[in-house]
Amino acid sequence: MRVPGRIYADERTIAQLEEDVRNRAEWNALRQVRNVAALPGIIDAALALPDVHPGYGFPIGGVGAFDLGEGVVVVGGVGFDINCGVRLLSTPLRHSDIEPLVERLGEGLYHTVPAGLGAGGKLRLSIAEIDRLLEEGAPYVVERGFGLPEDLTYIEEQGRMANADPSAVSTRAKQRQFRQVGTLGSGNHYLEIQVVDSVLDTEAASAYGLSERQILVSIHTGSRALGHQIGQDYLKEMTAASHKYGIPIPERELVCAPIRSPEGQRYLGAAACGANCAFANRQVIAHLVRDVFAEVAGLSAKQIRTVYDIGHNNVKVETHSVGGVRKSLLVHRKGSTRAFGPGREESPEAYRSVGHPILVGGTMGTASYVMRGTERGMEATFGSGIHGAGRALSRKKAAKRFWGEAVVSELAAAGIRVWAHSKRGVAEEAPGAYKDVEIVVNAAVEAGINQAVARLLPLAVVKG
Amino acid sequence: MAIEFLEHTADLGLRATGATLEETFCEAARGLFAAMLDVTTVDPSETYDVRLEAASSADLLVAWLSDLLSQKELTGLVFSKFEARIERSEASCHLDGTASGERLDPAKHRPGIEVKGITYLGLDVRREDGGWSAQCVFDV
Repeated sequence: MRVPGRIYADERTIAQLEEDVRNRAEWNALRQVRNVAALPGIIDAALALPDVHPGYGFPIGGVGAFDLGEGVVVVGGVGFDINCGVRLLSTPLRHSDIEPLVERLGEGLYHTVPAGLGAGGKLRLSIAEIDRLLEEGAPYVVERGFGLPEDLTYIEEQGRMANADPSAVSTRAKQRQFRQVGTLGSGNHYLEIQVVDSVLDTEAASAYGLSERQILVSIHTGSRALGHQIGQDYLKEMTAASHKYGIPIPERELVCAPIRSPEGQRYLGAAACGANCAFANRQVIAHLVRDVFAEVAGLSAKQIRTVYDIGHNNVKVETHSVGGVRKSLLVHRKGSTRAFGPGREESPEAYRSVGHPILVGGTMGTASYVMRGTERGMEATFGSGIHGAGRALSRKKAAKRFWGEAVVSELAAAGIRVWAHSKRGVAEEAPGAYKDVEIVVNAAVEAGINQAVARLLPLAVVKG
Repeated sequence: MAIEFLEHTADLGLRATGATLEETFCEAARGLFAAMLDVTTVDPSETYDVRLEAASSADLLVAWLSDLLSQKELTGLVFSKFEARIERSEASCHLDGTASGERLDPAKHRPGIEVKGITYLGLDVRREDGGWSAQCVFDV
C-alpha cells in the first residue's frame, strides 16, 4: 500500500467488512480498498464511504484521487454504468393534492418512460447525431426539444463534460445506443414520486426550493448500453496499457494507464462521452415526466423544476487542497457522488452558499435523502458523498427470500404503489435486500462529511 | 454440464461447468441469458455467427460473453442455443461459434435484470474433475 485506506462507516458495517476478511470471502470490500491504496500516484488515502460494499476493482462507495503527473486512471474506478446518477425534479404540488392523482401519474410514468430489458427510446439517432450527443451532453437534447434551457444550470457540469472525445468511443458502443436514449433500464434504476417528509436543514432546503409535504420526482438511471460498451472496450485496452507501462496490478479489475499516457487520455475522453450520454438520458426522461404531469395534473413544463442532477460513477479532474496546497487531481468516484461544500464555483450560483445537493437514493420502500457537502468533507473525502443505502444481500439471496408479488402488496399496504416491468427484478430489489439507509445517512452525518437536508418518502415507484 | 449463480453483494457471479472447454463456454453463454430472462422460452430460430480471438481462454470467455451481450441491442436478439469451436495455442485462443435465438419479446421471455457488462473479477477458466469450469462476475 502506498497510502492508507480510510473507511467512514457505522460499527456494524465495519464489523461486517472485517468478518468478510476473517471468513476469506471471495469478494470483500476491505481488500478492494487495500488494492486501490496500492495504485501509483494515489493521494492521501483510498477512501470508502458509509454505503461501502464489495464491487469490482474499486469497492462500491469508493473514492480514489490521483496525482495528474504520477497517477493512473482506472476503468474499475468508474465501472460499466458511467455517470449513473439521480435527477431530482420538484413540483408545486403538495401531498394533499396528489392522493387522487398518484395512481394515474404512476400508470402514466410506467407507460411513457421506456424501461426494462430491451425497451427502446423514442429518440432514434444517427451516428452523426450520437457524436453530437456524446460531445455536447444534455444541452444537445435540450436543443432537440427535450426539457428547458434552465434545467442545464442545475446539472453537475451543466450537463456537459468538456473533455468528451467521441473518436475515443467505438462504433459498436455508438450503435448500441441508437434506440437507448431516454430509457430507464432495469436493476436498481427507478422513477419515484416522493413527498418531502421532513426538512432537516432549513437554510439549504430553502436554497434548493424544498419544503415539507412538497411532491418531488426522482429519476435514477445512467449511460445505458453506450456506457456499458465503453467500460467493456476499455477494460481490454487498459489490460494492454498496464503491461505496456509495467504497472503492477493487484487484481485484473484495476487495470489502468498513466493519466498522461495516450491510452489514459483516450479513456478519459470516452468516459466523458459516457457521462454526457447519461446527462442527456436523464434530461430526456425528465421531459417525459413533465409530459405525464402535464396530462394528469395539468402542470406546465416550467412548473416542474430540476433541483439537481448528479452522477455517482465518475472520474474527473478537480482542484483540492492537499496539505494546504491547491492541487489538480483526478478523482474517481464509484458509487459515490461529488459533494462540494459551501463556496465552490462548480455549484450553481443559487446553491453556492450552502453547496450543491447530494442525491441519496433509497430503495422501493424506504426513504431517500437530499444532503449537502461540508468543509470537513472537502478535507477528508475530496468532497465526496454517499449515493444510496448500498446492498446487504446478494441478488441470489434476495430472490430466494422475497417474492415479487408479495413485495408489491406489502408496499401497497404501506401506501407505496409499485409498477414494475419485471416481478423477478422487484424481488431482487426488495427493500430488505438493502442496508438501512438511515444508518448510512447517520454515519455520513456523524463523520461530518455530509449533512442531511431533507428526508423524502416514496409514494409511487416505477421499476424497469 | 451446469450453471450456478454465485453470491456477490452488488453484482452477479456465474460458474459454468462442462465436459469440454467448448461445452463450458456454451453453458456460460446460456447462464448470461438465464440471468436476464427465461431462456427456456427463447426459440433458437435465428442464428448469429461469432468469430473471436483473445490472449487466453479467460479473456476469450469475456470476449465471447460481451459480444453476445452487445448483440442484444445491435440485432435485438436474445439467445438460448450456442455452439463453439475453440482452438488454443501458447499465444492465443480462437473461437468460431454460433448463437441462436429470437427477437426479445418481454411478454414471452419474462425478462428480469439487465447485465451491463462482463467484469474481470474472479475470472477463472480451468480444467476441473475431468472437465472444465468457467467463472466470472456480471455487473448488473
